[in-house]
Amino acid sequence: MKRNAIVFVMLTVVIIGMLAVGSYLDRARKHGPAKLVGDVHNAAAPDFELPSLDGRKVKLSDFRGQAVLLNFWATWCSPCKIEMPWFVELQKQYAKDGLVVLGVAMDDTESSKIAEFASDLGVNYPVLLGTDQVSDDYGDVRALPTTFYIDRNGTIVAKAVGLLGRQEIEEDVRKALSTRSKPAKGQPSRSAAVVKTPTEETQ
Amino acid sequence: MNFRLFALILMMASMAGAQSPGNRQPSVILAPVGNVQLHAGGSANMELDFRIGEDFHINSNKPKADYLIPTILKLNPSEPVVLADVKYPPGEEMSFAFSPNEKLSVYTGDFAINTEWKAPANAAPGTYPVKGELRFQACDRSACYPPRSIPVQFQVTVVKK
Repeated sequence: MKRNAIVFVMLTVVIIGMLAVGSYLDRARKHGPAKLVGDVHNAAAPDFELPSLDGRKVKLSDFRGQAVLLNFWATWCSPCKIEMPWFVELQKQYAKDGLVVLGVAMDDTESSKIAEFASDLGVNYPVLLGTDQVSDDYGDVRALPTTFYIDRNGTIVAKAVGLLGRQEIEEDVRKALSTRSKPAKGQPSRSAAVVKTPTEETQ
Repeated sequence: MNFRLFALILMMASMAGAQSPGNRQPSVILAPVGNVQLHAGGSANMELDFRIGEDFHINSNKPKADYLIPTILKLNPSEPVVLADVKYPPGEEMSFAFSPNEKLSVYTGDFAINTEWKAPANAAPGTYPVKGELRFQACDRSACYPPRSIPVQFQVTVVKK
């Protein structure tokens, strides 16, 4: 009798554990993990919904099937100012291949000042207004710039903290673009654009 | 493997990790502050000495561009003590690898802010607390960190004329 009770308790614990794991995996599959911790390579990029400077609500998951360069920056960050014109160029160069650049401004200031700053730098991509929650979800982003390179399936393929050279940035962009998108359930597959090197394009 | 060699490698590896941007947090510390003593109806100067963590810089009180956050000392003395003046040191004009053509006005290493205190002639002798903060925004060679504040607290003693 006592043995049966122990088996029953153990089975209950196992079933509850399996349900909890299943629920977590289902949530992670649908929305990405709640928070990034440690090494983020090959981790699912946490989804978010943030207001953009033009008043829209932008969700990361809206861009599934495209590669996303997600750049956390701020107006008070001088190194950020250096790479933003490169993102403008990369957006122009790789848009046809499926690249989307998203800037997340981590300023604690009026959006009009952020808009003016972005406009002065010729920013041609959506700038979103960051929150502590999104910073926390992406592993407590403090050092700026911090950039995540997310492939067409919503997986982080590279992360860069601090200013890198343009060439390194472009390599990470190409890495994000090179993955083929997996079809979502019940949806036709979106084919990944073949990313050509500048040399290949001229041949 | 020799234990000391292993420990040395481990220490060097952890230091290498700590050197990469994002793994370190900028620090600014205030050297211990003594009491300011002044006579009723008189004035006294007090120097506040700060030290910035190695490899970091913070904007000076007068940075070169509007978008940069200046270093500001905010002090709230208790009545009847009055903060008469705050003198910031001039910034050091420096260029960094992230913007070699641009000169920024920054503080690095140690810097001092001078303050001048006054007490009216009718001030009652006694010790008056001063509370405040130093607000700054730091960067290293490749990244910048959100603005932070550190507390600044000391006492001003007013003695009879």
